[in-house]
Amino acid sequence: MMRPSAKEVTAMAEVAGVPVNAEAATRIANSIGPAFDGFAPIAGTLPFDIEPASFLLVQAAEVQS
Amino acid sequence: MSSEAALMSLVAVTEAIAAKRLSSYEVTRSCLHRIAQWQPRLNAFMAVEAEAALNAAHEADAALAKGKIAGPLHGVPLAHKDMYYEAGKVVTCGSLIRRDFVASTTSTALRRLKDAGSIRLGSLQMAEFAYGPTGHNSHYGAVHNPFAPDHVTGGSSSGSGSAVAARLTFAALGSDTGGSVRMPAHFCGVTGLKTTYGRVSRAGAMPLSQSLDTVGPLARSAQDCALLLGLMAGPDPEDPTASDAPVQDYMAAAREPVRGVRIGVPSTFYVDDLDAEVARILDGTIAVLKREGAEIIPVELPDQRQLTAACQIVLAVEAAAFHKRWLIERPQDYGAQVLMRLQNGLAIPGVSYLEAMRWRAQALAAHVAATAGVDAIIAPVAPVAAPTIAESDVGNSAGAEGVIQRLTRFTRPINYLGLPSLAIPAGFTDGGLPVGMQLIGRSFDEATLLRIGAAFQRATDFHERVPKLP
Repeated sequence: MMRPSAKEVTAMAEVAGVPVNAEAATRIANSIGPAFDGFAPIAGTLPFDIEPASFLLVQAAEVQS
Repeated sequence: MSSEAALMSLVAVTEAIAAKRLSSYEVTRSCLHRIAQWQPRLNAFMAVEAEAALNAAHEADAALAKGKIAGPLHGVPLAHKDMYYEAGKVVTCGSLIRRDFVASTTSTALRRLKDAGSIRLGSLQMAEFAYGPTGHNSHYGAVHNPFAPDHVTGGSSSGSGSAVAARLTFAALGSDTGGSVRMPAHFCGVTGLKTTYGRVSRAGAMPLSQSLDTVGPLARSAQDCALLLGLMAGPDPEDPTASDAPVQDYMAAAREPVRGVRIGVPSTFYVDDLDAEVARILDGTIAVLKREGAEIIPVELPDQRQLTAACQIVLAVEAAAFHKRWLIERPQDYGAQVLMRLQNGLAIPGVSYLEAMRWRAQALAAHVAATAGVDAIIAPVAPVAAPTIAESDVGNSAGAEGVIQRLTRFTRPINYLGLPSLAIPAGFTDGGLPVGMQLIGRSFDEATLLRIGAAFQRATDFHERVPKLP
């Protein structure tokens, strides 16, 4: 998982339907970069059979334990 | 007139009204008297509804005279963060965009407190759309810290923290998506409960991030929070994410001694890079809990930086999705800081967002395994006490972004894991700024946190200190 460049941010915002100017794209790239870096060790490593709702199962199991 | 009634705790004032030692009218007038004194200095209220509150208080007293009591909060005046919908009322969400928005429904949390007999004093200031950790608001002005008016209150429940600390309301609803209950509690010297994700219905509460948003109270004590949580918790047909996990007896828990409770102290992350005074107060808090009979145990937690990163990804994408229509149609109506934060979510791919959501189960399971030997964890809410309003004003201070990033470091991992966390006043800096500690618990085990918090408050008086008018 790579942090996006300002150029990539510009393209993604355009695709999302909310274009941003070059200054905003640079700021966004700098702002979200650390989140990409922090999550990089996890990205691409998750096993196949989990989905977001699996979280609720772990929560429920904690109550019953 | 005397404002002594407004200085009472929520639990004490409910008992005084029910026993007819105080009337709801006297109590409401006392709060309004303090609001008139403090509001010009704090900017904590979005709207004060004095006449309506006094009329409601009269009605509550008349009902009580006939032996009719609505519930445990009969006749108690309260004000809440201006993001809880109440049918027929303007709910600004701290924004220009919703300045004239009139709600057509009433939020479940608010309705449950109203059904218990509470009276509406007005509405409380907040960060625009609950998306800011300091208390700045470019549309309605910054909210000020009652203990030091040049300093921030913390956000996004800025008015809730400020008004409860100054004794303008006995308690207030806040919301916590990345720390928005705990930070105002920490900075303003009040008790704040970030509830387990799903413990309190979010129906009728303005959304920011549907996977992270939680509803919780700020109040003057753990016991007060226990009373409010007991009234609000539980399933709700209007919110499918509201859990049917058993609702504990929080008031009974708050009376229990802390003896035998196992409290974990993280060996890294939450103890790194603390200001010296925060470190001193953490040590002091641990010493009090140990003296009261708690067992203190070192714990090794999984990497919290990864949890923070995952939280940022989920929050950014979900917030941007909620706001997309207004980002297209009304970008000029957002404050600059909030617009920038919302735009961040546009640049995160869908696959990355879903990976962050899919990892949540594994991350929680790893946390549960790492903390199996303790009942709760203690940690600072933030590594510093309240910064000044000027030094944390993005756009007007070169170092503000760094200051803000540091503030949210210890709160976001807990939102990602969906865990409950109780922020309690734990001391003051030499300069007189409050410092809070958070007790982090197991999913749906708010009772243990309230038990520890109440025991700590029986042994200390930090939560009883009242700011003085400058």
